[in-house]
Amino acid sequence: MTTAMNIIQGHSPALIVVTFLLFSYLMPVLDSWKKNWCATLAIAAHVLALFFTGILAWQVFTTGTVTYHMGNWPPPWGIEFVIDYLAIFMLTTITVVSLLILIFATKDLGHELKAQVSSWYYTLYLLLVGAMIGLAITNDFFNMFVFMEIAAISACGIIAIKEDKECVEASFKYLILSAVGTGCVLLSVAMLYMVTGHLNFTFAAEALVPALELYPNNILVALALFSAGFIVKAALFPLHVWLPDAHSSAPSPSSAILSGLVIKIYAYAYLKLLLKVFPGDIFSMVPIYDMILILASLSIFFGSLFAIVQEDIKRMLAFSSIAQIGYVFLGIGLANQAGLTGGILHIFNHALMKAMLFLSAGAIIYCTGIRNIDQLKGIGAKMPLVMGVFAVGAMSMVGIPTTNGFISKLYLALGTLDAGKPFYLGVILVSSFLNVIYYFPIVINAFFGEPGEEPENDIPVKKLPLEMSIPLVILAAGILFFGIFPRHMLILVERAVAIF
Amino acid sequence: MERTTSILPVFAALFPMVMTFAIYYVQKESPKLRNNLSVLTSIITFISVAAMYPIIAEGKIIVFELFEVLPDMGVVGTFRVDVLSFCLALVASFVWMLATIFSVDYMSHEHAQNRYYPTLIFTLGACIGIFVVGDLFSFFIFFELMSVISYVLVVHEESVEALKAGYKYIVMTIIGGLSLLLGVINTYEISGSVSLDQIGLITEPSGLALATFIAFLIGFGMKAGMFPLHVWLPDAHPVAPAPASALLSGVMLKTGAYGLIRVFYNVFTPEFLQETGWITIVTVLAVITILLGSAVALTQYDLKRRLAYSSIGQMGYILLGLSLFTHTALVGAVFHIFSHAFMKGCLFLCAGAIIVKTGQRDIRELSGIGLKMPVTMIAFTTAALAMIGIPPLNGFLSKWNLALGSLEAGAPVFVIVLLISSLLNGLYYLPIIISAFFGTEAQEKKFTFDEVPFKMLMPITILALLCLVFGVSPINLPFNLSKMVADMLLGGGI
Repeated sequence: MTTAMNIIQGHSPALIVVTFLLFSYLMPVLDSWKKNWCATLAIAAHVLALFFTGILAWQVFTTGTVTYHMGNWPPPWGIEFVIDYLAIFMLTTITVVSLLILIFATKDLGHELKAQVSSWYYTLYLLLVGAMIGLAITNDFFNMFVFMEIAAISACGIIAIKEDKECVEASFKYLILSAVGTGCVLLSVAMLYMVTGHLNFTFAAEALVPALELYPNNILVALALFSAGFIVKAALFPLHVWLPDAHSSAPSPSSAILSGLVIKIYAYAYLKLLLKVFPGDIFSMVPIYDMILILASLSIFFGSLFAIVQEDIKRMLAFSSIAQIGYVFLGIGLANQAGLTGGILHIFNHALMKAMLFLSAGAIIYCTGIRNIDQLKGIGAKMPLVMGVFAVGAMSMVGIPTTNGFISKLYLALGTLDAGKPFYLGVILVSSFLNVIYYFPIVINAFFGEPGEEPENDIPVKKLPLEMSIPLVILAAGILFFGIFPRHMLILVERAVAIF
Repeated sequence: MERTTSILPVFAALFPMVMTFAIYYVQKESPKLRNNLSVLTSIITFISVAAMYPIIAEGKIIVFELFEVLPDMGVVGTFRVDVLSFCLALVASFVWMLATIFSVDYMSHEHAQNRYYPTLIFTLGACIGIFVVGDLFSFFIFFELMSVISYVLVVHEESVEALKAGYKYIVMTIIGGLSLLLGVINTYEISGSVSLDQIGLITEPSGLALATFIAFLIGFGMKAGMFPLHVWLPDAHPVAPAPASALLSGVMLKTGAYGLIRVFYNVFTPEFLQETGWITIVTVLAVITILLGSAVALTQYDLKRRLAYSSIGQMGYILLGLSLFTHTALVGAVFHIFSHAFMKGCLFLCAGAIIVKTGQRDIRELSGIGLKMPVTMIAFTTAALAMIGIPPLNGFLSKWNLALGSLEAGAPVFVIVLLISSLLNGLYYLPIIISAFFGTEAQEKKFTFDEVPFKMLMPITILALLCLVFGVSPINLPFNLSKMVADMLLGGGI
């Protein structure tokens, strides 16, 4: 028993990834044998991962950063996993939010997918989550690339699995653009390998300092390619074009995980590379932070402006994601304590909010079949729970105090002033106002609007199953909880930021 | 000043919020229980606020630290009650209590009461919270909560008109809120503190300081209905149910005034604002607000709309008094917060009573109503006369002090403004009263007593009596409190 415990404790970084990969490959096998086990097993995988995350978090909090060498091969040869506060932050966000989305999915999928593919969905879903976890803890360029590819392919899978024309088209678009993105990243990895001879982040970072003087152009191009690659993957304006189609046409749980987690993981990986790998001198050669700030502001503006004119609720949420990822990049671009805290915290906060909003949109579609915003008038009386949590999410998006969105915006705002760039404070404030324009009318119409008299508005409302309402309630409670008691989350994030 | 600790402010702010959930859940059992629980909650809140009086009267400040909200920023969920906070919390919880009692009968014919009562009580908690917190962040949080939640009260009717007004309200509120946030963040950036426990957070004139001042002015001015940010007010206040209108006009507008006091006296200092001349912006806007509110009220024939415009004018008095920075003017302004809460609360409740009985909102149709509803109309008359500033009512006392304060400040022109506005007030209130009692229909009709139920009459009567009592009584609690506030703010005793 003690040996088992030791193995678990010593190998939990690997086990957490292996769990997801193992369970995901089990699914097709089970599919032909015990079909109804799939959902339970997928949830079990998440619970196991949560358990490992807990162990890792305990280790990090008691003994500091955990490093793990794959197969006991020490770096620079072997693959290294590094779990620091920032990784713990990402691991917790990913496992918790994806577990909640999965619980929702177990009921929703039967409604959206054909029966024979629903267990394959879990395969893809677990692969995606496993790849994200890998991305969060890996300390190796090539490993990172592999996980990015796994994530990209499985993300395409969970979009296209619905098998209607729209979804296939959207996933094809996503496939091509993300291939361009990962291609850029691979090229950039190759160029860095060329000048440093290392694939490990830590070693490469050390070797880059002298290399910068010898081969500045190589490293600059590598930085440019990294930036382009990650910006495509994270859907920052103007490389966001794949996102609205992909996120709106996919099944609701897919939309929730794609918008809530997947785009964030690339922002996180980009942040890690910028601050941990590239030498500080390079930022005096090229104003990359200012570029990020400009792109982030454009993203914030155009995401919101496009969202205002959307008629489909999921499409509107997708455009809103573009705006929100802009906040995360704004935090990265500010590159100071408060700004980074705000940006990183927004990864978690937005994961809660957007997952919840997409799930509640999914619940509305499940119960009524309505996707059009105009038809949602008066729906609040029929579905008080769903529209109630939607209202909480909308308030959080706007940044009303006592919701977690307020806390991250507050820190971002402080960051802009600390950095001496009050212009971006204006951007944050104006965008909050833009959020009001497209979120509040939905809530207002749902609760106070009179439904039209046409018979088509009299759609029978299905009852929402418990499996779907529980994740919604937990996410909404989380939004409020971390809005009123943000202290512990902030301490974790501030420790995470302190490593830079 | 001496500090002391007490749980009362925390209780007063959070108790209604907690009770909201209780009220929400009992309504499934019985509407009667829900109503009684709402009334009980508002009474307990008032008592817990009033219970702070002995401590405040001794000249102490209540400080209570709840928990740390944001680490490493020195921002804690502090509660802090000085005499100014106490005044505002007292008048807010008092008028709220009466409005809740009034609601019980008024709302019994209305739809969606299950939404109305929890919202009403939650807003009470948020409103008290604004007054009793001790740092600008907590202030902002409660301010936004109150503003956003009270949207539900504004659109209660769910008519097209109400939704339109509500949309205007929510958009303006959010703009104001964001502007306020900008102000708070700037203050933190400049001074490294947002505590209300110290004076003069910003004492160096700079571009950022001016931006902060303007941001605060927009944020609070929006709420206080200051020209040119008043546009939401005349739409939003009349469409709400009468008790909610009374609270919106009587109490919630004052949160803006309270915020401005804090900005003028805590964030900045009077000397600083006078030296830089920034306060002139407020003075000029206040004068325009007074004249505009009163003048436009004349052209309105919807009773509640006329009252709403009158609120704009009256808020102008308060802003003027705040911006003059003389002791007497400040006493006048703070006392007018009390007076206006009583007067306008009374007037809106009377309007509600009239609407319940006659269904009539048009002023021209109210002829002879005084014979039908004598108690309501006598109360209305009292409050309206107080509004005009006829001695010995409380409105006179506040105007008298404001006028003296203007003279003290060496600006007799404001006395003329006050006189003109009083004249305008007379022009739009007196015709209502005259036609109610002596209108043509009154002469034909016989005396038919048809009053609203006791639970509606009682709040109206109490408010009208207070208008009289606080005008003549030698033991004038609000007036003494106002003097204490002025002593504290101008004496630098924070």
